[in-house]
Amino acid sequence: MSTHTEVEGLPGNGRVPRQVLTEADRRSRPQSLRRHPESGWPAYSDMIARLAVLERAAVLFALPEGVLRALARRLRRITVSSGEMILCQGEAGDTIFVMEQGRCRVVIERPPSVVTVAVLSEGDFFGEGACLLNRPQQASVFAQTDCTLLAIDRQVLQAVLARHPTVLEHLRRVAGHRFNTFADTTVQATWGTLFNEAAVVGVYSPKGGSGGTCLAINLVGSLSRRYPGQVLLLDLDFPYNHAALLAGLVPTSCLARMAAVPADSFEEALLSAVLVHSGGPMILSGALRPEEADEITPDLVTRAISILRKTFCYIVVDLGVTINDSTLALFDLTQHIVMVAAPELSAVKSAADAIDILLRLGTPHDRLTVVLNNRSLKPVVARQAVERMLKRPVDVEVGFDYSRPDQAAVNGEILSITNPRSEIAKGAEALADLLEVHHGRRGLAGTTNARAQVTIGARIGEL
Amino acid sequence: MRRRLQAVAEGKSQTLGIDLNDAGVDTALIVRQLTARHQPDGRTQQRLAAAFQRSGDWNKVVDSLAAGDAVRRSRSARMAGALDMHLAVPWLSSLLLAHEPVVRHAAAKALGKIGGTRSAEALLRAIQRRGPTPTLIVELARAAPDLFLETALCVPQRTGVKGAVAVAAGLRRRRAAVTPLLALLGSGTRRERAISCRALAWIGAGTAIPAIAVALGDSDWMVRMSAVKALAALKCDGYMPELDALLVDRNIRVRKAAQNALRRLRKEMAPRLMEWLWL
Repeated sequence: MSTHTEVEGLPGNGRVPRQVLTEADRRSRPQSLRRHPESGWPAYSDMIARLAVLERAAVLFALPEGVLRALARRLRRITVSSGEMILCQGEAGDTIFVMEQGRCRVVIERPPSVVTVAVLSEGDFFGEGACLLNRPQQASVFAQTDCTLLAIDRQVLQAVLARHPTVLEHLRRVAGHRFNTFADTTVQATWGTLFNEAAVVGVYSPKGGSGGTCLAINLVGSLSRRYPGQVLLLDLDFPYNHAALLAGLVPTSCLARMAAVPADSFEEALLSAVLVHSGGPMILSGALRPEEADEITPDLVTRAISILRKTFCYIVVDLGVTINDSTLALFDLTQHIVMVAAPELSAVKSAADAIDILLRLGTPHDRLTVVLNNRSLKPVVARQAVERMLKRPVDVEVGFDYSRPDQAAVNGEILSITNPRSEIAKGAEALADLLEVHHGRRGLAGTTNARAQVTIGARIGEL
Repeated sequence: MRRRLQAVAEGKSQTLGIDLNDAGVDTALIVRQLTARHQPDGRTQQRLAAAFQRSGDWNKVVDSLAAGDAVRRSRSARMAGALDMHLAVPWLSSLLLAHEPVVRHAAAKALGKIGGTRSAEALLRAIQRRGPTPTLIVELARAAPDLFLETALCVPQRTGVKGAVAVAAGLRRRRAAVTPLLALLGSGTRRERAISCRALAWIGAGTAIPAIAVALGDSDWMVRMSAVKALAALKCDGYMPELDALLVDRNIRVRKAAQNALRRLRKEMAPRLMEWLWL
């Protein structure tokens, strides 16, 4: 009893040093101190129920029984009414929710569409990505029926698992794996990969002159050798589109002009604006004149991509330098992003910032590829230094190719088609191999969409 | 001191020979600066915490929370917060009821930094006992884990507590709080209704606009004023006639708020109007 007085009187007089509460003291404490959070022990039957739920959660399989009991003691039980929001996509989070009763709907909101990707029931859990990896919530979660949830917050996890760093590390690995799996599900849900639609690859270089457009053209060339007539380069490098020029083509229409086309003839008009290079790649310019760049809206880009992905096998989008609304919309729509950086201080710094932004936007690590494009014989910044600044390895390094890219542009050639031994062609080939690992379309190579054949054939006929 | 802590934070050293009672050095500030750029579970934090535990300073910090000197107690509370000492939460929550404002303030800040259910419960209990203060509300918003405030808004509370929780929910800006705040707007006291309007605006809840518009006709001037301010903050120009009507409200503060809201909304609308005229 005396110990109790000391602890309770601690803030006021503070004259008595802190003493450890013994078990006997704990039992003899008056009711006022029992309301202390430390002493809020659940009843035996409640503990059994909590443990039963925790044991069913896959993320907690590896935990020793003692740790599970400690977690069960400290978690919160929350009741949520049907239809209420539990988590909101894009927000930060610090709690893992394990479902005890009821059903929840996991929803991905990608305007204009809202897709339900999963329905969770007893024993399922969610929120682990935000809690353990400090990533934004990947989806919104709504209660489909009246639900009872067990909430384990980050502080509880850290307090309980402080003595088990390996367990915490294991939990992080599981959460990371689930995060990537869920990112794939998200892409499938919104992109229809299950229906064999095109993989969209964004080529982004945060600093001008890094060779983003050159690499995008050669990547399209490499992919076209594998899938002739099924690879498109969409040039959204504003305000000056140069992809068609570098490939020796003269565009007569562009995506921006589709803004004024009625909805019923939009698809036909869009596909007729696609240019065909003699080597196989196809190019669609974003804007023919700089002022037309203003016509490109996120809505127009989304509509165009939704049509193009049914027609092609790969869509490579040259995203240029600036990040605007359209670029952000495309980041949402891309399945893979290729970040091009030259070994220069400012370019690498910009790339590091851009990678940070992309990761914050929810891009999984394995869907982001870093390409180091050497623009000089002896780069000032070494590859190791670049990797240190980017905090991730360089996936593909493109060697210095002297004047070959410039010469190819003058001749209207694509090096990856005409000169496979050039450095840029080798880099593009390595990049294409990497994309094939993630988004392999081998099965599709021989089964070209009939509509694509008709449209592209008609276009080639026109030419 | 800074050099020693920095060496530990960078992993160059594992020993920490510092004097926590040195009044000339703010150890907590240095620790917070060193860990500022890292996540709470970052390596810097872990290295520092491990070094403090090895050197025995960890226990000294906890012991100092019971010191007679208020300055020492507040310094220890700040230190506990900087090191995210979860184990010190029960002692910190006791300090929330201390007589000295400096100790209460430091304890609240520390609990806000540590976060978690137990910290949030302690802060909520302090609000219940001492009444809402800005520090307690802000730290409650920082400390509360997901769905903590939403749950607190749905259960019966003492007078004034729900208002404080609503403010914290607004400061936290989580969409999950929209439904309980709407419920509070419909059935709360005049003060709670007024706070709900502002909190919904802070969250940016577009779905709450119709309910806030209904509050423009509330019998209480404070609710009407909050609703006007909320609509302006949400940049909602669909209720201009209702706002115009409030320009002749019987309360001068409502009239003033309506005037400011209309000015702000018209300023927002001007570029769109120009664009429309141009096209």
